[in-house]
Amino acid sequence: MSKKILEVKNLTVHFYTYAGIVKAIEEVSFDVFEGETFALVGETGCGKSVTARAITQLIESPGRIVRGEVYYNPDGERLNLLELPDEEIRTIRGNDIAYIFQDPQSSLDPLYNVGYQVSESLFVHGRVKSIKDGIKKAVNILRTVLLPDPERRVSNYPHELSGGMKQRVTIGIGISNDPRILIADEPTTALDVTVQAQILWLIKEMKKRYGVTVILITHDMGVVADMADRVAVMYAGKIVEVAEVTEVFKNPVHPYTQGLLKAVPNPLKKIERLETIPGTVPSLINPPSGCRFHPRCPEISKVCKEKIPELREVKKNHFVACHNR
Amino acid sequence: MSQDEYYRGILDRISDAFIGLFVYLISTIRKGWREKNRSRIAEWKLMFYALNRSPPGVIGLFLVTIFVFLGIFGPLIAPYKYNYFPIFENSKTYLSPPGEFFVLGADHFGRDLLSLLLQGARTSLVISIIVILLGVPAGIILGLIAGYFGGKIDELIMRITDMFLAFPPLILAIAFAAVLPDRISYLINTYPPLQQFLLWLFALERTEGGNLSRLLAVMIAMAVVWWPGYARITRGSTLTEREALYVESARAIGLPSSKIMLRHILPNIIGPILVYVTLDFGTVVLTEAGLSFLGLGATPPIADWGRIVYDGTQFFPNAWWLIIFPGFIVFLDVLGWNLLGDALRDVLDPKLRRSIEFKVKKVKKSKTKDMEIKEVEHE
Repeated sequence: MSKKILEVKNLTVHFYTYAGIVKAIEEVSFDVFEGETFALVGETGCGKSVTARAITQLIESPGRIVRGEVYYNPDGERLNLLELPDEEIRTIRGNDIAYIFQDPQSSLDPLYNVGYQVSESLFVHGRVKSIKDGIKKAVNILRTVLLPDPERRVSNYPHELSGGMKQRVTIGIGISNDPRILIADEPTTALDVTVQAQILWLIKEMKKRYGVTVILITHDMGVVADMADRVAVMYAGKIVEVAEVTEVFKNPVHPYTQGLLKAVPNPLKKIERLETIPGTVPSLINPPSGCRFHPRCPEISKVCKEKIPELREVKKNHFVACHNR
Repeated sequence: MSQDEYYRGILDRISDAFIGLFVYLISTIRKGWREKNRSRIAEWKLMFYALNRSPPGVIGLFLVTIFVFLGIFGPLIAPYKYNYFPIFENSKTYLSPPGEFFVLGADHFGRDLLSLLLQGARTSLVISIIVILLGVPAGIILGLIAGYFGGKIDELIMRITDMFLAFPPLILAIAFAAVLPDRISYLINTYPPLQQFLLWLFALERTEGGNLSRLLAVMIAMAVVWWPGYARITRGSTLTEREALYVESARAIGLPSSKIMLRHILPNIIGPILVYVTLDFGTVVLTEAGLSFLGLGATPPIADWGRIVYDGTQFFPNAWWLIIFPGFIVFLDVLGWNLLGDALRDVLDPKLRRSIEFKVKKVKKSKTKDMEIKEVEHE
């Protein structure tokens, strides 16, 4: 197995709101290996995006990273990203770890043309001398992300592009500085299905071409099966299961993962209704005691209410946080 | 209705011609600018069409243009100098009514009121511009910082802003204007270039050097009380804008906060601020006139609208022109800025503007249809 490029340890992020402290993620730990596609899966509000943003300290007030370490290991170094001062983390963002956000419609500034925005990200990291210089490079970058007619498109404003084209531009901005890690936060949610396929293909292609490590955040199990090498399933701010993608789909161990997979339609099986997980996502202000899944769990035992389960290795490279396995 | 459309057509053509001239001037300096910025030019034209749909806005623009023009060229076209006292040559000019010696009458030094009003236009314009230039950027920067960083910084800045807002601005300005001149006169006297620059700005003669400090004191006093409003609206807009995903992506590519604020947030919230500035120009003019009416700021012989009214009060029932004319001028100036500001609110808001633009296009289409029908009839 190749080396760990990113190690997240006991990452905890709280949001201090008027309603109370929202414990968005609690003691999240996982490793990402160089060159793989690591998927973070879970339903809305389970803390996937918060985890991804916390990696480069992108958490805004009222949120705060309470504790934890994120080690980034580029060539022989070992940097704790959460302890870096503002200046240094800025050189990491975009340059080493780049993001693609959920909604291409709003992740581009409406007041600048596309070329400027790509060029700006090059300029920040000193890859070009001026924004104007960067436009030429931007054309090439936009060509690699298969934006049609990039020479003309660089002078277009975001409102002149379609959703798919905008997402191509944001991917272009993401890869513009040749990052080691690309964090794609639900890159396909706002797009229609055919465009989704194109964008996913593009991300795969970029991965092949530049050897970039991808952290994919999604709630779409289909996307996970298509893209990921390893999967971490999150529930209510905690990771409940980490395993290789085939392992997760074939032998899901945690009851939540099992429920999640039963809720995905399978074209090969004929069933009357899809199964659902009973109940709703708990409030993160007062999360359930012990295992956070226990109020909805079909196999609840007494210990579940009292003790917080730790991630244990049940098989090789297959970690589960459950008392009953 | 058709009469209305006819006038609008004329207005549209005037604004088109104006923009055409402007574009021509730019493209002579920068070759190829016109071809590159075709859509921008079209957008400008549409902005003016939208403005032309609102008669009060057109009146406001007209008044403001006149007052800016008078502010720039007033002292040059004034028939007499502000420091020429005819009373020493002809004692009958003392408070002479309109029409006797001068068109708008004379003050108690026998000075021509028209010339004083023209000179006063410069004083008022320069003061309002400088107050806006000092106060607005300060407010915007503080508001951006408060809104963008949030938390304790936000609390600190906004509570200070609240303190300033809680204080009656006129009284605070009076306090500053009363205390500052001594210190400022020292500053002005030690930096002759500054003095010369200010004299040139106000179109005054060298002998007035000593009176500058009071004018400057008023400007600084007003700037000091002017920023809190801007800090507030900027913070409010920043709060909504910083949640936008493009701000987050800007942070994610590693842009420093200062660049995000100035390059990405500020341009996106500048619309409402510009409207506020336009509305505020009128308020600044009014406040400045009020301060000099209270005896702060301009001192004779420097011409200032508020000061003329103040001097006129002692001769009021008889020399009514000393109060009515400057008062009316101030009224028109403030009205102009307010009407323009109101109309700009519609023009600068893209959503509102679209709805107006669509009306514009519809009218044009129906016109061409009418023409076609007429042509067919001719045939």
